Amino acid sequence: MGPLAPNEIISENTNFLLAFFIGIAFGWVLESSGFSSSRKLAGIFYGYDAVVLKVFFTGAITAMLGLLFMSLFGWIDLDLVYVNPTYLTSAIIGGVIMGAGFIMGGFCPGTSFCGAAIGKIDAMVFIVGLFIGVYGFAFTYPWWEKMYMAKYLGEPKISTTLGMSDGMFGLLLIIVALGMFFVAEWAEKKFPREAY
Amino acid sequence: MKPLKLLAMFVIPMGLIIAAVPQNKTNPYKLTADELLSEVNSRNQYLAPDVVADMIIKKDPSLRLIDVRSQEEYEKFSLPGAINIPIANLLSPDYTDILNQDTKMNVFYSNGTLTANEAWMITRQLGYNNNYVLEGGLNYWFENILNPKQPSSTSPDEEFAKYDFRKSAGQALGGGGLSVQASDNQAEAAAKPAVKPAAKKKKAAGGC
Repeated sequence: MGPLAPNEIISENTNFLLAFFIGIAFGWVLESSGFSSSRKLAGIFYGYDAVVLKVFFTGAITAMLGLLFMSLFGWIDLDLVYVNPTYLTSAIIGGVIMGAGFIMGGFCPGTSFCGAAIGKIDAMVFIVGLFIGVYGFAFTYPWWEKMYMAKYLGEPKISTTLGMSDGMFGLLLIIVALGMFFVAEWAEKKFPREAY
Repeated sequence: MKPLKLLAMFVIPMGLIIAAVPQNKTNPYKLTADELLSEVNSRNQYLAPDVVADMIIKKDPSLRLIDVRSQEEYEKFSLPGAINIPIANLLSPDYTDILNQDTKMNVFYSNGTLTANEAWMITRQLGYNNNYVLEGGLNYWFENILNPKQPSSTSPDEEFAKYDFRKSAGQALGGGGLSVQASDNQAEAAAKPAVKPAAKKKKAAGGC
């Protein structure tokens, strides 16, 4: 049956409409989880607030379980689900830049729009920076192209790389995530911070 | 830590289940047997040789003829502009870009229609669009496009129109060696639109 759009069960336009509503719901959940506060977000790097880790990892393992079970029931063909191709060098460099920007700015791209939507000025400044970065990269792309395209690995899955089934890797990830949640909550107590 | 415990109580059993069950590897094809049967019954994959001949003569850029016979047969004779994808190599990754695309009309042909139909069915099962089969295959092509028979004098005008088109098409495509004078006595029939319009093309595209 699924995925709906590639199998032409819903049209491309319906797909965009659904994305619009899902996007609104996503923003609403982010805001109500406190993701519009840069201090709360940056807390993950200092240990006093692990809400980022908890929300995103809970989201990831929920989606993972959902996809694996839907694939098991034959509701979705996972081969048709788009996977971002891996360019190792740019993934590492991009991850470092993203992380540094996250600590300094207190937002990640999605949450900055969330913050701007409720009128946070720091979030708006962050978005300006974000666009400077986007345009800066786009206009100087020829300089980076070689590095950007380096170490192309196709679309590898960690489970196949490790030689285990998707389900087994899923279980492993769940255990790792719960372990991280436990450590994060311990850290929250260890490095408490009043009123942020 | 209550929420954490609650989450763990939910996700750990789910993880255990998903780790224990075998992966679902079925359903690699995109069409169900029912869907494929209805497409086969509709015969929409067939393109009439007259339509194909017309496209070849007009050098229609959207046409791509694919010879699914063996390489020796392809080298001996092939339709103008055809490329060779022997059916044995149909699934080779080299050809995926050719077979799975949205811009061109791929027309499979073989001597009869059997091999071409096999190629069409496999690509259709893979969910590829825009692949068609030359109706009648090369045998029919030889008999009717390259060496058309003159219809009997009592035939309806359409038959003569078809004949005239086929005769000229056959000459353009290097067949037959037909005498030019034969066309003279059918001049008024030839004035009618000789080729079935490319409407067939759109109809065939409705298969998916």
